[in-house]
Amino acid sequence: MKRTTLDRNIKTLLDELLVLESMVKEATFKAVDALIQRDMDASRFMYIQDRQINKRRFDLELDCLITIATQQPIAGDLRMLASILEIAGELERMGDYAKGIARVNMMLKEKPLPKASKDLPQMASVTIHMLEQSIQAFLNKDAVSAREIPKQDDEVDRLFNQIYFNLVQEMIAEPGTIDASNHLQWAAHNLERMADRVTNICERTIFAAEGKIIELDSSDDQWDQSG
Amino acid sequence: MEPKNRSKIQIKKYSFYYGDFEALRNINIDIPENQVTAIIGPSGCGKSTFLRSINRMNELIPDVHTKGELFMEDMSLFDMDVVNLRKRVGMVFQRPNPFPKTIYDNVAYGPRAHGIRDRGILDEIVEQSLRSAVLWNEVKDHLQKSGLALSGGQQQRLCIARALAVEPEVILMDEPASALDPIATLRIEELIRELAVNYTIVIVTHNMHQAGRVSDHTAFFSMHKDRAGYLVEFGPTRQIFTRPEKQLTEDYVTGRFG
Repeated sequence: MKRTTLDRNIKTLLDELLVLESMVKEATFKAVDALIQRDMDASRFMYIQDRQINKRRFDLELDCLITIATQQPIAGDLRMLASILEIAGELERMGDYAKGIARVNMMLKEKPLPKASKDLPQMASVTIHMLEQSIQAFLNKDAVSAREIPKQDDEVDRLFNQIYFNLVQEMIAEPGTIDASNHLQWAAHNLERMADRVTNICERTIFAAEGKIIELDSSDDQWDQSG
Repeated sequence: MEPKNRSKIQIKKYSFYYGDFEALRNINIDIPENQVTAIIGPSGCGKSTFLRSINRMNELIPDVHTKGELFMEDMSLFDMDVVNLRKRVGMVFQRPNPFPKTIYDNVAYGPRAHGIRDRGILDEIVEQSLRSAVLWNEVKDHLQKSGLALSGGQQQRLCIARALAVEPEVILMDEPASALDPIATLRIEELIRELAVNYTIVIVTHNMHQAGRVSDHTAFFSMHKDRAGYLVEFGPTRQIFTRPEKQLTEDYVTGRFG
């Protein structure tokens, strides 16, 4: 038995989700690149471009709600649609982080970029790769991959700590860089948070595939004494 | 995502009376071509009366009169020959009502009544209509069996094939799935979506969820204190089911009506 309209709507929503993901990827790449190249025009453009991501997310959200209201999805279909709603929200927030990185460039103005910034493109690259994998796992309802992908967060955290360490060294050696270093720290932090949101996407994939809501451990829970 | 189709049927300031009783009051709707329009509302709000107005079936009832106008593509329905009108506007009822004839003769009935005698042409019409009603594969080897021997869901698809055989432009459906089990219901709903590519469909349903699933546009009818039916809201189904404009519609679609 087919549910042509429901199946088609879900497929369209997944296509829209994929478009949203590529917009976020592009925004992240370009925001980091503009920062490294000190390209103010590009940063200004990416800053404004975030509105497009937000609009896409709201359109997707409305289409998702319309499908739920008119097609009465149940069980796996319902979990899929609920997950699409959640993931669209995660992607939109990731877009905000990219926008934040664009803002860092604009705030730095004429100040030279701290040397520690050399690791930012690598950090962005790992994060974006994780995002790609997580969305692919969601499209395939691949809970096995969804459990594996968050482990790569360790590398993102390692790069974050490295940038942090190098920034502190720079600040100690040259107090005049404190302001710029603080701003750059913010950019690195945004990338670190993006990787955490990939973990949230993976949790939604497991929910869509298996109906279980579980929390996937991210690597920074050395402070979590509860469990 | 919002399809813009021209209107097939225009209803203007239409009121309908059973004797002194006003069953419908001042209805205005443009029914879009090649789309599914669902009519929903509580019992007694005039949904079926409204539907039967579109092929002038109500005229068979004594002591009725109307006000206002109904047009199909700018021609008044009241100026049309009623036989021609009902050829252009077919109807499917709540309970499947195949004739006590063979499957073949059920579908060939309309074309024969319109004068088609050529066996080859009739064969073609029967096959095409049964295919369009997604019944062909199930009955192609039993065309001489009685239509009454089919299951309820198959009988309803046979009735749809019978309606399609005279090549209508509009198909009116009055609760077409309410006598069917859930699987047969979903199958009819799938069929309605497929038919909407080529036909204008108006469906009355007391099943609001069905309206959500099958229709492009939804009209919500209710009753005044004197029980006269009226149109509360008409709009794209996606809007009626997510952000209706009227509180009464919101109350009805969320099950908080009355």
